[in-house]
Amino acid sequence: MIRPHDSAIVRTLGRIVIPVAQLFGFYVLVFGQFGPGGGFVGGVVIAASMILAILIFGIDSPDSTMARNILHGDGLGLLIFAGVGGLCMIGGGQFLNYTYLQIPNLDQASQHFIGIMLTQIGVAVDVAVTGVSIAISLSFDDDEIPQDEGTHG
Amino acid sequence: MSSHLPILLFLVPFVMGVSMPILAAKRRSWCQHLTLGTFGLMLILSMVNLQVVLTEGPIEYAFGGWAVPVGIGWLDDPLAAIVILTLSFVSFISIIYGRVVVSSKLEKNVQYYTLILILVSGLVGVVFAADLFNVFVFLEVAALTGYALVGAAGGKSLVYALRYLLLGSFGATLYLLGLSHLYVATGTLNMADIALVLPGLMTSTAVAAGLIYIFLGLSIKMALIPLHSWLPDAYANAPSSVTPLLASTVTKVALLAWVRIEYSLITPGVEVSHVPVLVLLEEIGVFAALIGGALALIQTDIKRMFAYGGISHIGLILIGVSLGNATGFVGGMFYLINDAVMQAALFMIAGAVLHYYRASTLEQLRGVGRKSPWLTAALVVVAVAMVGLPPTGGFFGKWNIILGALEAQHYFAAFAVIASTLLTLGYFLRIFACWFHQPASVEFKPIEISKSMRISLGTICVSMIVLGLMSDSIFQFLLASVASGGA
Repeated sequence: MIRPHDSAIVRTLGRIVIPVAQLFGFYVLVFGQFGPGGGFVGGVVIAASMILAILIFGIDSPDSTMARNILHGDGLGLLIFAGVGGLCMIGGGQFLNYTYLQIPNLDQASQHFIGIMLTQIGVAVDVAVTGVSIAISLSFDDDEIPQDEGTHG
Repeated sequence: MSSHLPILLFLVPFVMGVSMPILAAKRRSWCQHLTLGTFGLMLILSMVNLQVVLTEGPIEYAFGGWAVPVGIGWLDDPLAAIVILTLSFVSFISIIYGRVVVSSKLEKNVQYYTLILILVSGLVGVVFAADLFNVFVFLEVAALTGYALVGAAGGKSLVYALRYLLLGSFGATLYLLGLSHLYVATGTLNMADIALVLPGLMTSTAVAAGLIYIFLGLSIKMALIPLHSWLPDAYANAPSSVTPLLASTVTKVALLAWVRIEYSLITPGVEVSHVPVLVLLEEIGVFAALIGGALALIQTDIKRMFAYGGISHIGLILIGVSLGNATGFVGGMFYLINDAVMQAALFMIAGAVLHYYRASTLEQLRGVGRKSPWLTAALVVVAVAMVGLPPTGGFFGKWNIILGALEAQHYFAAFAVIASTLLTLGYFLRIFACWFHQPASVEFKPIEISKSMRISLGTICVSMIVLGLMSDSIFQFLLASVASGGA
């Protein structure tokens, strides 16, 4: 069981660090095509920021809304990944062959860019969801996790 | 479109598994039907796949359009195609059977069905994967879902699931260590590519160590004696509804992964520091077949007995594929397909007896035979197949393994196959002695066997006989595929 932290220093710093960490995670995700980084690392950083929110403000607080809601997206990242691959197959290429990604009015470089970007976003979503759900399942009993009517159970 | 069949076979259960929490969020009772439909679709696709592979030759699938040594490739050859067909068939039948015996807690549990679907998609990945790292990834996908499914019954099964997890993760780590050795030595992970480079490197200690690590890691996954200790407890306590699927597929697919590595990397007669590798593997198989059969003979719990029976058959298959000739190899592979079906049937019967009569030990089985003709008929057919009598597929597999052993003049291996057959006969006689025996104290009430149970038991028994009748054509195309170099 994690209780909200009552130290003013921690709470204030948390308010500064969490947005910066989320922005950095997003940067790592997008920058992955040009340098070190990518979906997995970006997802981990974003998950860390949300776990930080849970640790500082508690799971019930409005500041942890994103961490609570992201648990419902557990299959979403994989669906994005498989969906992009499937679109390439519908276009006539192999699974994940971005040359055949069917998006009108795009040259080949942009097709590859969009394709890899979307799959990386898919990876990031799943890594973030997994990170948050590991943290939550290790630190709370089942009945302590606030849930909306049984969509995730 | 036919060139996309391998990835479609993977995506169908995978996408369904992932979207199950969304599709069945409001109506939990849909889970079962959706899963059944998915496996039905998979069954049709795998039949088409087998047809395409047999008429047009193996499909090599390059992901993202990158050619194989650089990119990731899947290989869909006749062996893979028929194993996938077996896998889809067993999954489909297991779900029909699961409708009867599934506990009320799991019946409408979304995660349970998601895990089954992802388990099957992981196994499909292992069968198709043409490079060592992909095999590792998909083995772990299948293993992780397997651990969760073993523990899904709750209670005591969680302990055995944890033990399975620890041992399985140890095996996966060994496999990864071995594959990194091979990667350092050869600079590639693609099996066909490694096979080109490796013959000149057999004197290297790193390669030998890598192969040993890979073999040990996969031995844990395939429950090869003496690394089998996780299996009997895990399968005896896992939910009855999913044990047929787990027992028939997980260990067999791990064995298939090893067979592919062995077949492409270890040529007959190769020696590492004067040890003939294939003969060593064959001796390990002999050991596993005999010890597994003997351990099955002394069990009193029927699920554990069947689990040990499966362990001894892993040894038999290993003997077949390690003989170094095509007859033994094809016999081993055919027996692998048969064994998948037989294990599914055995655990279905064990689960059905537990469900209808609350009987799990030999003592409690007394007199069941008089009350349930359906279960008795199924048990007789499975026993005939397990012992290996002619109309069933089990006979033709064992026959070819023995022929292969005689051809290689390894008489001890041929003797071991026959001895393990006798041990199999021994433990089935023990079951029959109790099955048909007049009950000592309790009289069972006659129980109506439900329609799903009849369909699943009937289909799986027919399939064992059909495998026997079709054995010749299956041997022909497996032999052709071995002769052409792919396996």
